[in-house]
Amino acid sequence: MSAMGFQTVGRDSLFTRLDFRSKVVMVAVISTLAFVWESPVAGAALTLAVIAACLLAGVKWSYLKWVIQLTIPFYILLLLTHGFWNTAQVKALTGKEILTPLFTFPQHWWLIGGGSMSVEGILYGCNVICKMLTLVLVIPLAVFTTDLNNMIVAMVRAHMPYKLVFIFSSTLRFFPLLFEEVQSIIEAQRLRGLAVEKMGPLQRARVYARVAVPLILGAMAKSQQLEVVLQSRAFTGSPDRTYLHESVLRRVDYAMITFFVVVLVVATALYFGAGVGKFSWLLW
Amino acid sequence: MSDMDPILTLDKVSYMYPRSTEPVLRDISLQIRRGEFLGLIGPTGAGKTTLCLTLNGIVPQFYGGRFFGRATVAGLDTVEHPVSELAQHVGSVFQDPETQLISTSVENEIAFALENLRMPREEIQHRIPRVLDAVRLSGTERKHPHELSGGQKQRLAIAAALAMQPDLLVLDEPTSQLDPVGAEEVFAVVRELNRELGMTIVMASHAAEEMAEYADRIALLSAGHLVAVGTPEEIYSQVNLLEEHSLRPPQVAHTFYRMKGNGLPIHDVPVQLEPALKSLDALRSDCQVVPLPMQPEPPARSLERLLSVKELRHVYPDGTEALHGISLDIARGEYVLIVGQNGAGKTTLVKHFLSLLQPTMGTVIVGGTDTRQLPVSELARRIGYVAQNPDDQIFNSTVSDEVAFALRNLHYPAPEVETRTAEALQAMGLLEAREQHPLSLPKGDRARVVIAAILAMKPEVLIFDEPTTGQDFQGARYILDISRQLHQMGKTVIVITHHLYLMPEYAERVIVMGKGTILLDAPIRQAYHQVELLRSTFLNPPQAVLLARHIGQWQGVDLPLLTPQEVADCLVCGPRQGQVP
Repeated sequence: MSAMGFQTVGRDSLFTRLDFRSKVVMVAVISTLAFVWESPVAGAALTLAVIAACLLAGVKWSYLKWVIQLTIPFYILLLLTHGFWNTAQVKALTGKEILTPLFTFPQHWWLIGGGSMSVEGILYGCNVICKMLTLVLVIPLAVFTTDLNNMIVAMVRAHMPYKLVFIFSSTLRFFPLLFEEVQSIIEAQRLRGLAVEKMGPLQRARVYARVAVPLILGAMAKSQQLEVVLQSRAFTGSPDRTYLHESVLRRVDYAMITFFVVVLVVATALYFGAGVGKFSWLLW
Repeated sequence: MSDMDPILTLDKVSYMYPRSTEPVLRDISLQIRRGEFLGLIGPTGAGKTTLCLTLNGIVPQFYGGRFFGRATVAGLDTVEHPVSELAQHVGSVFQDPETQLISTSVENEIAFALENLRMPREEIQHRIPRVLDAVRLSGTERKHPHELSGGQKQRLAIAAALAMQPDLLVLDEPTSQLDPVGAEEVFAVVRELNRELGMTIVMASHAAEEMAEYADRIALLSAGHLVAVGTPEEIYSQVNLLEEHSLRPPQVAHTFYRMKGNGLPIHDVPVQLEPALKSLDALRSDCQVVPLPMQPEPPARSLERLLSVKELRHVYPDGTEALHGISLDIARGEYVLIVGQNGAGKTTLVKHFLSLLQPTMGTVIVGGTDTRQLPVSELARRIGYVAQNPDDQIFNSTVSDEVAFALRNLHYPAPEVETRTAEALQAMGLLEAREQHPLSLPKGDRARVVIAAILAMKPEVLIFDEPTTGQDFQGARYILDISRQLHQMGKTVIVITHHLYLMPEYAERVIVMGKGTILLDAPIRQAYHQVELLRSTFLNPPQAVLLARHIGQWQGVDLPLLTPQEVADCLVCGPRQGQVP
């Protein structure tokens, strides 16, 4: 990721030409489908489609890989949780009284003895992993393909309170500063004999908690300076202002919004009418 | 309104912040004419920032508090008219280049105030290129502020203020956190705005030489009082008055003031370099150059190499080569000054001593051991690093805990932690404050807490990285005096700073860096006189050095003088008393 903590794809594509509002509709529809579909097959297909769209739009594979790698521990936890313990929900979804055991721990094992991992639980765990991945990866598809100015004006045009939009844009402005400050504080602690590299996760967490003190005090001082600057630039927080940049919905935007609304309607009808996307779809 | 009419009038203005018991401004009356450049000087706490904020109505409208008297800008009362309306008449530029830029691109930064004023989009688009051109930032429209240098950031802040087409531009110490190139860029732009576009300027600054050069009038503020107002010649020639208020005069004024004190026939004390050189020439026929008094020999230093760098090359992950194979030795007990522009490689170099950065090629040896074999925590025992902002280095809730923090991390036994903590607190005069919260102390004391915390580890070397940036003269001297005290205790001291004029009383050796290489490594009396080399890397030699070189040219000799006092003492008028050294 760039120093700004904000990536912009270099490739011109359908996604870069869309208004941010169209992409918000896209994100909303994809997220809804990811939430609703319990089927691991449907979930995986949706995740793969989002990954493919990201790559087509020019989001770097190294970034996607980084996100996937970062979240792997959660996925392992999800698989274990659903495989071993989420029996009630999985039974309700499959309609089965007894789940298919994958393996069972011997009874005499301490604490986990007798615990059984089910095939259905693992499959549902896979669906939850796909849900998470879809939700995480659809964001860069919308955000990295959007010019920041378009994003901000589109938010205002979508009737989001201007003060919220301003906070969002200021966060993007000040994120690199905050990041640099965290680095310099940790550096100062290391120079006072703190051997972070030899520490376990808990000790490290304590170090990061200590970083919060100078960071918060620094942020408070900065926020007061920022208020003075805003005053001197005639800022009142009022939405009654003009904008240098424009956000215009064009024909392609209306087409995309219509497409995604139709997809949602059809998917809902198929889900309830034909069971497409339900847990057992294409499995049993 | 004619050009002679005042654009700004302060009539008996006094102000107290809420919950404050003392006024910050006391009975100030002042008028500023259209097109004038008023310099505002005063020590930290004099009320300069508050006065600047009074001009755009932020004081008292935003802060509250008690305001007395009347302030009008372009005929508008600053209490009766809202800040947003006053903002169209008074553009403001603040000290910190980072926090005053609020948008995500250069063009958005300029547009922000205009959007708030509900200006049509077409007019905003029309104004952006004009103001960017005025501050020489054309072509940067789409850049994120983070991609700009310090000087560019301040020029962008000026452009954002100019876009509102104000009558008055108020700049509060806009160069105090910049390197010399950045400061020069800002002064050049402000001068152009004033001289070519007739913009009225009010600028608070500690940069005495530049203020003497560019300002039409200087207002001296101290403890909230307007002590004096006059031309730069009238104010800066009163060296006693400036010293009384902990201010530094331009070095030429200081030099001529001392010459006058030595009995030389000086009528008017010049405050700018060019007139000073002419005044010197006028003395030439009546005066002669006397030998430099014998300088006390610096105490004999150990020849033991404490820090050693061989063929050091460093390339950052983004491909930037910050150091190009440099070699250097620093002996135990030396006081070394490292100078150079931002990006010259100074901080990259010292971070290698601390193992915060690893060499891409070459070696760094500390006390005979390659730093690759030493963890940061081990090096921290040997080398203390004082970074620019003390507040980023304070993590504990009492001064005592702050000082003991490193000792506990390094697993010293409890009795030793206690002894060393007490010793460090004693050395920095902080015993009385040991139970106080470090952040409740004044900034100078907070710096001492950080230094005490480092001293507790008993390091052999102390590195001060830009300790004088953002400090007034007194604050800068205070920290440098501590560095001298530590040097006298036998520590090896390395100071990185852009403020060359501050260092003659402290440093022995100067390393000039530029573009990742060492351009010069010499004793301070030689290094400061390499004027062309210093200028080639945008460093300004102190005016005293330039005066000494001018005098030296009379007789074709080098006068290795560094301070106003030395230059003043090298001339004697009347009967011949000595020869050229």
